[in-house]
Amino acid sequence: MQPCTYQCGTKDHLHSRRAFLMGTAVGALGFAGMTTSASAQSLKQSQKRVLVINLAGGVSQLESWDPKPGTDTGGPFRAIKTSVPGIHICELLPYTAKQMHRLALVRGLNTAEDDHGKGDYIMHTGRRKEPAFDYPHLGSVASKLLSPAESSLPGYLHITPSGGSSFGKQDAAFLGPRFASVTMANGQPPPNLFAPKNLNPSADQQREYLRSQLNQRFQRSRRSAQTEAYTASFDQAEQFMKQAHIFDTSKEDPRLADRYGKHDFGRHCLMARRLLEHGATFVKVTHSNYDTHHENFDFHIEQLGEFDRSFATLIEDLADRGLWSSTLVIVISEFGRTPRINHLYGRDHWSKAWSIVMGGCGIQAGVVTGKTNANGTAVTDREVHGGHLFHTYYRALGLNPAKNLHTPDERPIPLADPLASAIKELLV
Amino acid sequence: MFMVYFHLALGLASLPEAQKLVTPVYPQIDVLIARSIPKDQLAAVTVSSDAEFLRRLYLDLLGTIPTAQEARAFLNDRSINKRARLIDQLLAKPEHARHLSHVVDVMLMDRRPDQRVPTTEWREYLLRAFAENRPWDQLIREILSTDGSDPKTRPAAKFLLDRDGEANQITRDVSRLFFGRNLQCAQCHDHPLVNDYKQEHYYGLAAFFNRTTLFPNAEDKKGILVEKAEGEVSFQDVFDKAKKVRTTKPRLISLTAISEPTFEKGKEYKVPPKKGEKPQPVFSRRAQLAPLLTSKDNQAFARATVNRFWAMLMGRGLIHPLDLDNSENLPSHPAILELLTKEFIAHRYNLRWLVREITLSQSYQRSSEVPLELKEIDPSKWVVAPLKPLSPEQLAFAMMQATGLTDAERIDLGTKYTEATLYAKLNSQVPSFVSTFGTRPGEPEGLSFLATLEQSLFLKNGSQLRSWLSIRNANLMDRLVKLKDDTQITDELFLSILTRLPSLEERTEVIKMLQTTPASQRQATLSELSWSLLTSVEFRFNH
Repeated sequence: MQPCTYQCGTKDHLHSRRAFLMGTAVGALGFAGMTTSASAQSLKQSQKRVLVINLAGGVSQLESWDPKPGTDTGGPFRAIKTSVPGIHICELLPYTAKQMHRLALVRGLNTAEDDHGKGDYIMHTGRRKEPAFDYPHLGSVASKLLSPAESSLPGYLHITPSGGSSFGKQDAAFLGPRFASVTMANGQPPPNLFAPKNLNPSADQQREYLRSQLNQRFQRSRRSAQTEAYTASFDQAEQFMKQAHIFDTSKEDPRLADRYGKHDFGRHCLMARRLLEHGATFVKVTHSNYDTHHENFDFHIEQLGEFDRSFATLIEDLADRGLWSSTLVIVISEFGRTPRINHLYGRDHWSKAWSIVMGGCGIQAGVVTGKTNANGTAVTDREVHGGHLFHTYYRALGLNPAKNLHTPDERPIPLADPLASAIKELLV
Repeated sequence: MFMVYFHLALGLASLPEAQKLVTPVYPQIDVLIARSIPKDQLAAVTVSSDAEFLRRLYLDLLGTIPTAQEARAFLNDRSINKRARLIDQLLAKPEHARHLSHVVDVMLMDRRPDQRVPTTEWREYLLRAFAENRPWDQLIREILSTDGSDPKTRPAAKFLLDRDGEANQITRDVSRLFFGRNLQCAQCHDHPLVNDYKQEHYYGLAAFFNRTTLFPNAEDKKGILVEKAEGEVSFQDVFDKAKKVRTTKPRLISLTAISEPTFEKGKEYKVPPKKGEKPQPVFSRRAQLAPLLTSKDNQAFARATVNRFWAMLMGRGLIHPLDLDNSENLPSHPAILELLTKEFIAHRYNLRWLVREITLSQSYQRSSEVPLELKEIDPSKWVVAPLKPLSPEQLAFAMMQATGLTDAERIDLGTKYTEATLYAKLNSQVPSFVSTFGTRPGEPEGLSFLATLEQSLFLKNGSQLRSWLSIRNANLMDRLVKLKDDTQITDELFLSILTRLPSLEERTEVIKMLQTTPASQRQATLSELSWSLLTSVEFRFNH
């Protein structure tokens, strides 16, 4: 493979295509029996959840949700029928096609931003980047507004393909670190979840006892909201540690687990299902990398080959477990890819006319909104931008998009861009 | 009331001879604070214990707690002026300058990631300034007028360079930090809630920077600030239906616009803009700001400074919140703020004088314990001392001191030991505390407190704190396991970590735990008990 000459800042340009293919297979799957999801049934029906699948780098709308076969821009793939008569998607998504009756397509997206970072920002915040002010991610807002008070899981969990697990700060912006994303790198649990190996349970009990005695004594005459918050954070840690089993996929029935695919992304989708059914509010799974400036078609065969089956299985499982109607599911990218095919058989960054998918909570199933012209170079009907998407998400979740959040200095910030509105035809 | 004046008199008597010639300000602070306290709460006004005062002063002035040895020495000292003496001793220590370099770095830079000036060089610069007690006005003048072209003075330009020399970023923070007014809302319209904050105030400040750019470009990490000779700010209120466009010359918030010289066309530049060459206008707008801001006529500058350092020591500003100085948000004690502002200017912006006066006051030296009979206490009256959460740096250094990592590193350094060499060793342990306990980079940390799951997991299960609780030469665990007597062990434990001796109840409790522990588990138990003290509320706050 020749080195990529494009300079758009993603390090993944340098990765060989092989690296994408060689994602480690799922490890030991254990012999645990069928996992019944008692907890799923016990979940309050009122809890709303969000699942975001982020196809990082910019998935091609032409090889996925808005195929244009037989045109100068269409590329080599066919369009196939889906479970909804009249809706066709690219043949690279046969499993997802069978789930179309649960999904809705937005084909008239024009985000007018071809930079990775800035496009990503629009798709995560519903706003364009502004100097000296940051908006919180959808995940942070969901964490703040939708997480049940008694929840012991972090509100915003992000499963990434690689890197290190960590607690984030930036993406919650003015909402504060409590609502920031917790990164689960390669599906690994957040840092410091497990007690030190050389701490035996009785010593642990003893140290916790002394800590609480000291705290009680100190707070007899010096109790404040801050001291309470500090002691509560230790209780929260203890509750969270008790939930550590959620992060262990090894006990899943291998027959069920294998349906997700024996690759990282499949394992990550399985993890997402576990998190959601145990009460997580917002889970994002990033699948990387779709930045196909060269060999666009080969890349999409491989990448979407992983995505398709895992995603379709996840939809099926969420539906089977009664979670579908309370979980808003969104498949995003930072932008789409150029209709024009470049001399390296690649497609470049393109935000003028592209597509995303949503479904589940509050979303009309089996519909399409927006339309592009014959070879996909422009939106011809129902053009929308990031602001419209966020109005739609919030309405679907039963939140008022005009509701204000407040910065620490009491500046009111509406949930969604006041100049946009929801895509009503997508709402139930 | 009697008590207040009684201690007030003691405080006066304890002044060193040379200081008596200058009228101290702190007794006036105490009178004014005492006057504001409701009669039924006066009984609650009690002086802190020596142990409480000692820990508080160390954390406030040095950013860490005292060693067990230092604590013993102070607690056993019977002299009547030992508090005032300790204040002067700590103010003279290099560790005090170091602590201020942390505090002022965070105050001015909000922990934003480095852009063009590395934090280490910037902190070195601040350290030198505080070590020589450089006047605050001079320091801020340097910071606002350095362009970064001379490598020797470049660190001072971090404030402007790492804000990309960009007018909006700079305006927001100049208004906040040096005027005590957060004008951010006024970027787009007059402040909707604060009548005093007008859009022309925002753009008046922005106009000092609207001609500033980075040379050779914004990408160059060695870039410097340059200026054009032309360009005006213009603005319109986003709510204004008529969309009227207005403009303003540079002006300080409370003052009229500055007069600018006019030039014949072609004579505006000493060095005209040319590709690859740095332009130099005859008249620099940016250069006007620093002298105007720090002039004695602009009391707002001294007032904002006094309020910030008051808040650092007293847990809350006289104006609260810190950045909301306006006619509808009056100071809790206007007379104190006026007095300190006037005197701070008269003392030539001497920060050490300011810190000394506040810490000498009885208002600072109160106990933080709220008597049980009092339910609601107004924090703006300072009836009791406030609980101040430790900053990430304070927490890290205090934990290193408590666990004896500081002692172990000092001994390892041997003859190479200086404040600077020890700091270099210890500072490498701090980043994880900053990322775990600090606010979001770029956001003012101020007096905020957050307790998060990440933090409690870090303290409960993290390997860093745990490693400090294993035995190493002369550290806390090493000292504890060598002690045979359980009473001695308990005392050493409390004194090292909480800077006080245990209560009878606590001593009994810990001794019982130790006596029921099998010998093989003794060391493990000692380290877990240390952990309990380190993660207690009492340790987390400066009380």
